[in-house]
Amino acid sequence: MSDFSKALGVSASGLQAQATRLRHLSENISNADTPGYRRKTVPFRTEFDAGTDVSKVEVGRVSLDDGELERIFDPSHPMADETGYFEGSNVNLLIELADAREAQRSYEANLKMFEQARQMSSGLLQLLRR
Amino acid sequence: MFQNLTVFKTAYAMAVHAGQRQAIIAQNVANADTPGFVSRDLPSFQEIYSSRMGDQTMLRATRVGHVNGSPTSSIDGLAQEDRSFAAPDGNTVSLETEMVRATDAKRQHERSLAIYKSAMNVLRSSLGRQ
Repeated sequence: MSDFSKALGVSASGLQAQATRLRHLSENISNADTPGYRRKTVPFRTEFDAGTDVSKVEVGRVSLDDGELERIFDPSHPMADETGYFEGSNVNLLIELADAREAQRSYEANLKMFEQARQMSSGLLQLLRR
Repeated sequence: MFQNLTVFKTAYAMAVHAGQRQAIIAQNVANADTPGFVSRDLPSFQEIYSSRMGDQTMLRATRVGHVNGSPTSSIDGLAQEDRSFAAPDGNTVSLETEMVRATDAKRQHERSLAIYKSAMNVLRSSLGRQ
């Protein structure tokens, strides 16, 4: 396996991981007002592929945030208890948006690496042309 | 006479080095958000090349595997860990540094290909084909 295909494979794994992260972030954001929703977090880990000798990135199991759910006072809400409160979600939009921006930045960096490896290998093939 | 041209071997070794460096940088960028990942980098081509210059009878190569071994063997022997930048989660990848390194690798690759091409043109002219 040439170094370029290694680089392309690793960048593709990075792109996939960041896209998965962004998907879970958008799930969190769209469920920000769902009562009882706990935000999902995705861990990243390095997966060393001994066959090709590269450290790809892999998304681990999705876990739920154990943070406290927001208590909202609204006695008219169908889910409100006798004190008039019901439990909302524990999504903090600010955190999700900051995380989404970071995911985008990392995605772009991986895309740039992919594009560069592609350019380098096509430059190599140009040698065959006269 | 035309079987062992040093300029081709040097340009080849330089291009291989650039490709390997690109692969390592792609791994760093893909793992930019993996907790505990340590960034790695290859020493510069000039460093490796000059350290082998002393032995003139040996074919110059960025590592032993280039000449006699298979060109796909491990590059882990030469890669050095870079811990100059550390995030709280133990990740030492700095995207900005990686971008600079990637640009370096690309320029080195283009330079080596340009040298290779120009030497080819010299050979072609000597054969009388333009």
